[in-house]
Amino acid sequence: MSLPASQVAIQNYLLVAALLFCMGMLGVLVRRNALVVFMSIELMLNAANLTFLAFARDRLDLTGHLAALFVIAVAAAEAAIGLAIVIAVFRNRGTVNVEDIRTMKY
Amino acid sequence: MDTSWLTKAWADPRALSASLWLIIALPALGALVCGVLGKALGRTYVNLLACATVLGSFVLSVFVFQAVAADSSVFALSPASGTAIRFALAGDWGTWFSAGGFTAHFGLLVDHLSATMLMVVTGVGFLIHLYSTGYMEHDEGYWRFFAYLNLFMAMMLTLVLADNLVLLFVGWEGVGLCSYLLVGYYYTDEAKAWAGRKAFVANRVGDFAFLMAMMLIVLTVTAYAQSPANSTPVTAWQQRKAIWTRAVSDPGPLNFQVLEEFARVLPPSAVTANKNLLEANIPSGPLAGYTYGGTLTVIFFLLLLGATGKSAQLPLYVWLPDAMAGPTPVSALIHAATMVTAGVYLLCRMSPLLVLCPAAMATVAVVGAVTALFAALIAFAQDDMKKILAYSTISQLGYMFLGVGVGIFWAAILHLVTHACFKGCLFLSAGSVMHGNADELDIKRLGGLRKEMPWTTACFGIATLTITGIVPLSGFFSKDDILDGALHARIAGAPWVGPWVYAIGMVGAVATAFYMSRLYLLAFTGERSKQAKVPHAHESGWVMVAPLVILAALSVILVTHGIPGVIQRPGGPPVTVMEEFLKPVFDLPAGVAREAESLHEVPASSTPVTVLLYVFGWLVALVGGAAALVLYKRVFPARAGRPVPALLAGIRSFTVNKFYVDELYDAFIYRPIKWLAIGLFRVVDEFIIDTLAVRGTAWVTARIGSILRYLQTGDAQAYAAVMAVGLLVGVGYALFQVLAR
Repeated sequence: MSLPASQVAIQNYLLVAALLFCMGMLGVLVRRNALVVFMSIELMLNAANLTFLAFARDRLDLTGHLAALFVIAVAAAEAAIGLAIVIAVFRNRGTVNVEDIRTMKY
Repeated sequence: MDTSWLTKAWADPRALSASLWLIIALPALGALVCGVLGKALGRTYVNLLACATVLGSFVLSVFVFQAVAADSSVFALSPASGTAIRFALAGDWGTWFSAGGFTAHFGLLVDHLSATMLMVVTGVGFLIHLYSTGYMEHDEGYWRFFAYLNLFMAMMLTLVLADNLVLLFVGWEGVGLCSYLLVGYYYTDEAKAWAGRKAFVANRVGDFAFLMAMMLIVLTVTAYAQSPANSTPVTAWQQRKAIWTRAVSDPGPLNFQVLEEFARVLPPSAVTANKNLLEANIPSGPLAGYTYGGTLTVIFFLLLLGATGKSAQLPLYVWLPDAMAGPTPVSALIHAATMVTAGVYLLCRMSPLLVLCPAAMATVAVVGAVTALFAALIAFAQDDMKKILAYSTISQLGYMFLGVGVGIFWAAILHLVTHACFKGCLFLSAGSVMHGNADELDIKRLGGLRKEMPWTTACFGIATLTITGIVPLSGFFSKDDILDGALHARIAGAPWVGPWVYAIGMVGAVATAFYMSRLYLLAFTGERSKQAKVPHAHESGWVMVAPLVILAALSVILVTHGIPGVIQRPGGPPVTVMEEFLKPVFDLPAGVAREAESLHEVPASSTPVTVLLYVFGWLVALVGGAAALVLYKRVFPARAGRPVPALLAGIRSFTVNKFYVDELYDAFIYRPIKWLAIGLFRVVDEFIIDTLAVRGTAWVTARIGSILRYLQTGDAQAYAAVMAVGLLVGVGYALFQVLAR
């Protein structure tokens, strides 16, 4: 099925999504502040959402929308719990620096 | 006098056939109730219940016996030939189990042979149950005892009534189990518990052989059933084979009727157009290439080994003397009258096939004869009353095997019946002696019981005379019928067997007379020993004396069945009552043996010679008894206090130690197996399984874990980095795959 010329090609969406994902991943790997790490995770999730939607649009299939809605719901829940944990850790240790929180080791 | 009531069945034969299962179910129910509720019911009710269930079986058995024995219009249809089985009652309760092409039915059959056994088992069984109520009156485990005893009855009756080998095997194993439970009844005494185990293990050796024999029979019979029909067009025969082949697949290849029909076709005869199948090769199946005759011989060697285990013959007899550790009624019921005769019954049941294997018959006869003499010699020097009786049982069972081996099945069964009566009586008398003498069994510490226990002494005396073979008693005729038959039997290929086993049997008879007279003289006559546990013995109560009297009376009355030449057969030599009675069963093996030419009978030269032979048998018994009388009443008392010659002392100690057979088995079988087992335990169990496999796995896992745990740095970002790298590698690989295409 060929696309109308006015529409943006799917590759562009996918490229943006991949870029967002890489930025998010970089943030998760290098940033020290737990809150920023969280925001980076949100970025990655949204990159995934964008991919879902791009494919859904490309294939005229609503399943992709459904998946994106799921991801949003999961992201919301994850953010709620994650933030609660971060607050609890901050109250306990006075820091949200992930390098300082390494008690779960051998 | 109107005697029609004697020759008509007392009850409707169809109703009797349909209720055969009750004979087994009643004692089984008794066992269940006594075992589960016995302690709560109390002694009186347990005694009542145990005796009543067996009495019920006995009454039913009497009706069944009467119908089978007296009413010639009673018959059952054979599934294997579609024709009537000689006067028999049969009940079939459908398929018990079937696996692949093999089927076994829950079917019961009473013909003259099993009817005879039925009377012995339930009759003697009931008397011994009655006796036990007196014997066990001071025992706390009475409910356990009666539960086992009733279970034994149920199992023994299953063995006797079964119409196929599989069901017979259930009874066979069941009586073995009950024997174990009852020998080890006083399980707090380690030696007695050990005796139970020994009995069980020795029996298992035989049972294994029995099982192998059954499997070989199944293979042989099914191979023949699948073989193409006889090429010569004998239409009647082909029809018969078609019926038989159906029977092999439906009531199953181990059904006795199927086996009997099989025995009919093996030797060359009119039905098989004179083809000798015994030498033919088995056409198909795992046994392809072997001959039918050879396979049958192997089968019967295995069955013989099975029978020697259960019936305590050489080489597996060692468990029976130790089995005397059980309560005395158990010794009487299981280890004298019923269970140990199961081997004889089995071989008689299989007699149509047995007569096709002269080699197996000769072996049975020799094993029987040698055991008869061997056990009698060991009994010479035993001082324990029950041990003497145990060796005597082994010896008498040897005579039965001898009879089976030379093809005089009826005499073996007659001896089985008379033996059940007189040996039951002897054992029960021994129990009565124990009961009245604070469990004393050493005959040197008894003595003089004649005045204190008159009834027991009288019964023991009669039974002693019976087993010794004094003329007007049953034991004389049942034993001499066997020996006389042996003298006149010639087994094909081994004609020496008959006369030789006769000679060995005669020596055994002298020995029997000697040790039994010794036992009687030392325990019952003379002065009371100064080493006796209690100064005065007391006679037992009526529940114990009545069975003794009945059994003693029976061992006299049964003489009617053994006197030769009482019944004149039309066109044949005169025969005994028992031979005529069992004719419907043992006609078939006799006919098969004639066709296979495996067994010849040298006709007795004349009546005076036969009479002389029997007189000789009687004199032999008298000599043995007289020798004991002279030795123990004159020679030994006169020599008391003087030193014994070294040679005699040596012989005595050799005999006292039972010819060191137990030590021999201990050194050559028990110890090697024990060391092998210990070796296997140390190497396979302890080292390979425990150390290497089980603990080794745990150890390796723990070591690897303790190394790998250093990867857990606790740094979440490091984990994420690893994941990212993994993802990158995955993506890279995917890209590579796509681009490289």
